[in-house]
Amino acid sequence: MITITKAGHHGILLPELNIGLDYSGSKADHIFISHAHADHMPRNRSLTVYCTRPTSRFMKLRGFTGKMIEMDFEQPLETDHARITLFPAGHILGSAMTFIESDKGSVLYTGDYRTPPSPATEGFKIPEAPIDQFITEATFSLPIYKWKSHDELAMQACTFARQTLEDGYTPIFLAYNLGKAQELMFMLKKLNHPMQIHGAGFKLCKVYEEEGFDLGDYETYQRENCEGKILIAPSSAPESGFASNLKKVRTAYCSGWASNEARRTQLTADELIPLSDHLDFFELIDLCEAIRPKKVWITHTPNPKVVEHFLSKKGITSGFLDLEASAND
Amino acid sequence: MIDQKTQPNSFKNLCEVAQSIFETRGNNAKIKLAAEYFGDLADENDLRLAAQFLGEGAFSDVSGKRASVGHRTIAVLASEFCEIDYDLVFKQCRTVTGSSSETIQKLLENLPEARKKWKGLNLTLHEVAEVYEQLYITPKRDLKQQIIKEIWTKMSPLEVKYFIRIMGQGSLRIGFETRSVVSAIAKAFEKDAEKVRYAHMITGSLGETAVLAKNNRLGEATFELFHPLSFMLASPIESRAVEEFDQYIAEEKFDGMRCQAHISNNKVALYSRDLNEITSSFPEIIEFFSGKNLPDFVLDGEICVFKNDTILPFQLLQKRMGVKKPSDKLLTQYPVIFVSYDVLYYKDQPCFSNTLLERRVLLEQIAETHQIPLSSQMEITSREDVERLFERALAHGNEGLMLKRKDSKYEYGQRRKSWLKVKKPSGSLDVVILYAHAGSGKRGGTYSDFTLGISVKDDERYEEEFIPIGKAYGGYSNDELAELNKRINTITLERFGPTLLLKPELMVELEFEDIQVNNRTKAKYTLRLPRFKAIRWDLSPNDADTLKDVEQLYQQKLEKERESQGGNPSFIIPT
Repeated sequence: MITITKAGHHGILLPELNIGLDYSGSKADHIFISHAHADHMPRNRSLTVYCTRPTSRFMKLRGFTGKMIEMDFEQPLETDHARITLFPAGHILGSAMTFIESDKGSVLYTGDYRTPPSPATEGFKIPEAPIDQFITEATFSLPIYKWKSHDELAMQACTFARQTLEDGYTPIFLAYNLGKAQELMFMLKKLNHPMQIHGAGFKLCKVYEEEGFDLGDYETYQRENCEGKILIAPSSAPESGFASNLKKVRTAYCSGWASNEARRTQLTADELIPLSDHLDFFELIDLCEAIRPKKVWITHTPNPKVVEHFLSKKGITSGFLDLEASAND
Repeated sequence: MIDQKTQPNSFKNLCEVAQSIFETRGNNAKIKLAAEYFGDLADENDLRLAAQFLGEGAFSDVSGKRASVGHRTIAVLASEFCEIDYDLVFKQCRTVTGSSSETIQKLLENLPEARKKWKGLNLTLHEVAEVYEQLYITPKRDLKQQIIKEIWTKMSPLEVKYFIRIMGQGSLRIGFETRSVVSAIAKAFEKDAEKVRYAHMITGSLGETAVLAKNNRLGEATFELFHPLSFMLASPIESRAVEEFDQYIAEEKFDGMRCQAHISNNKVALYSRDLNEITSSFPEIIEFFSGKNLPDFVLDGEICVFKNDTILPFQLLQKRMGVKKPSDKLLTQYPVIFVSYDVLYYKDQPCFSNTLLERRVLLEQIAETHQIPLSSQMEITSREDVERLFERALAHGNEGLMLKRKDSKYEYGQRRKSWLKVKKPSGSLDVVILYAHAGSGKRGGTYSDFTLGISVKDDERYEEEFIPIGKAYGGYSNDELAELNKRINTITLERFGPTLLLKPELMVELEFEDIQVNNRTKAKYTLRLPRFKAIRWDLSPNDADTLKDVEQLYQQKLEKERESQGGNPSFIIPT
């Protein structure tokens, strides 16, 4: 089996193959970046890395200055020791799972992923070849997490926006500015109502457009001109004065964490939309059961023991690969 | 399939209303929802239960009944029901949500093993009330468990969540407390909110109050002797800007315990702040009031240890509290008196609607006729007066000063600005954070409670470096809490379910009201009302105060010179 080592804050290293996964150390010849969220991007901004085309665009817009070699999904790259193929992860646009095949076996590293995939992504696909070791994130790693379908959540978002506008209020969606924000816009565009998105998220939208995702009628947030538009901003924005000139607003917090009741009082949001870009606990267990790898490695979770426990009941061996927990949802 | 349309009087409907109230922002909107619900209930027994379940719990507060099912029992039972491991799975889930009942709701909804077992059968409010009654009369834990398991199979997960919360007799955690239920009753039946509140105070039951309001019988709620009234409470003066000092009178804030005395002829009953009867602990007060052939009256006042013309520390009064039959020795060592400062009822007439000045005239008259100790009242006109009298109160060993508005009614059960308290925190200590605990309720998902330690490094009695001195869960800002949570991540040594053992590193300046001896703790002292004053990023654990410092503070407090009452007393015994 391929040796997998955690590299602390620097990601994962496969030392025999000189391969790094979401890695920013100096011991790998080939580094693969799963997606452009800050906790997966290399900390060392001048590395040479492999990633999908949208990921490279996002990383550039977010300040990565190193060399990026773009790869297409399902188009393998051959190195001296291994064959590496990217598969769509369904998390955000460009997000990729990295599949490594070598004489010593195979590894699939998921990065962050979601199945069923987010509609504003390239989809989700598992390699057909056998997977020996499955390194999976488990952000929502407890059986209290079970998502509603995308259609239901889209309906909730649309109904909230429509009702709020009808009542003469301005709806504000609080959503992370890469991925979640655009996914929401993708859901809300059918309302045919002008949207404004916070500047940090706005500049990323063009990558979606380039990749053929129509995000509807939107422009960048303008304080003086935002009343009556559908507004989208990261959850920290209201504290720093976002739309604070408007008296009649209602806010919807959009995140997997919104499924916890405590969030309602913590955030004083009017609506909680538990829209996650990670898979839920049951989807995780089901997927592991479908793949049946020789070993499951769990990362990005505060509760590895619970996942291990449920997997062991299904006869699946697993272990915890202790990486830094994900801050973004 | 049977039509499962929700009936107004079903338990499910109550739960759905509660959930909507939780998900609605704005108090008026919440009240409107509850009022519509109350209005929809045709039957008065349903209404009684609905108001009680929403605002009080499984039983009316005055009934004295409890389901008596512990949190752990419920959690273990739910784990069994869902076929999951309690320690490994349930506890982790609860840490994240901060709520057992929410966790159980989700597990019942999500886990296929649990889904098979329940069917929402649309139980009525009455049927659920019967279950609570069964739990009350069943003393055995295993029978209680059976009853609960059985009823859960007939409820939806949402119903189970509220079934548990209502059973706990606590808050439903939907941002809708007693006062809002009272407003909703008033709104539903178009009654004056003040009249509804009065009826609630008198009956002590929200259910009864709702029924009286519905039937236009609020006037029938009348005060009865030996049913304690909720106490009027004071706000800290810091939070209120006092403008017209001459509208207030000042009294010393006695270093004792609050007490309501009900007297009728030779019958006497004493009630504590939490409305429990404490009569038997203080025989000398009973003796004092008995045998005087007194008329009916109710006094609000304070029990203090009083010896050699001096009010002695609250710590000494604690030796009498909760002792049902005090020994002669205890009675001689720590003799107590009752100092009155308000009158709520006199000869068949409640007087809490009279102004303070009017009540005072009456109180002085009663006190003089029957030689009952009563507080000294002082006129004030300026902040300087307040400061001077405050110092004098402290010299007497009292806690501080009370300012009471002359034209105020007795606002039972409320903490408003008619009474203001002037207090000084008793002290502060520099302590180190030893453990962080996951918060519950609205603090679910963050570590918000902290066990704090003092240094015993150089103390030969202990082997540890630090030992716990108290637990604090307030006094910090949201930003500070976020910063603490960030830091905690980096210094966690071990995790025990919802508790993290931390490397002793983070220093806190801890403020508290009082130090008390408590032999059940490792330090043998506990702090009263400990809270963060400041997070001291500038200090290291080497700067932590020691157990010896705590002991010294306690001794200082106990031995602090107390002025005898002398010529300038905090209370008068009419002769």
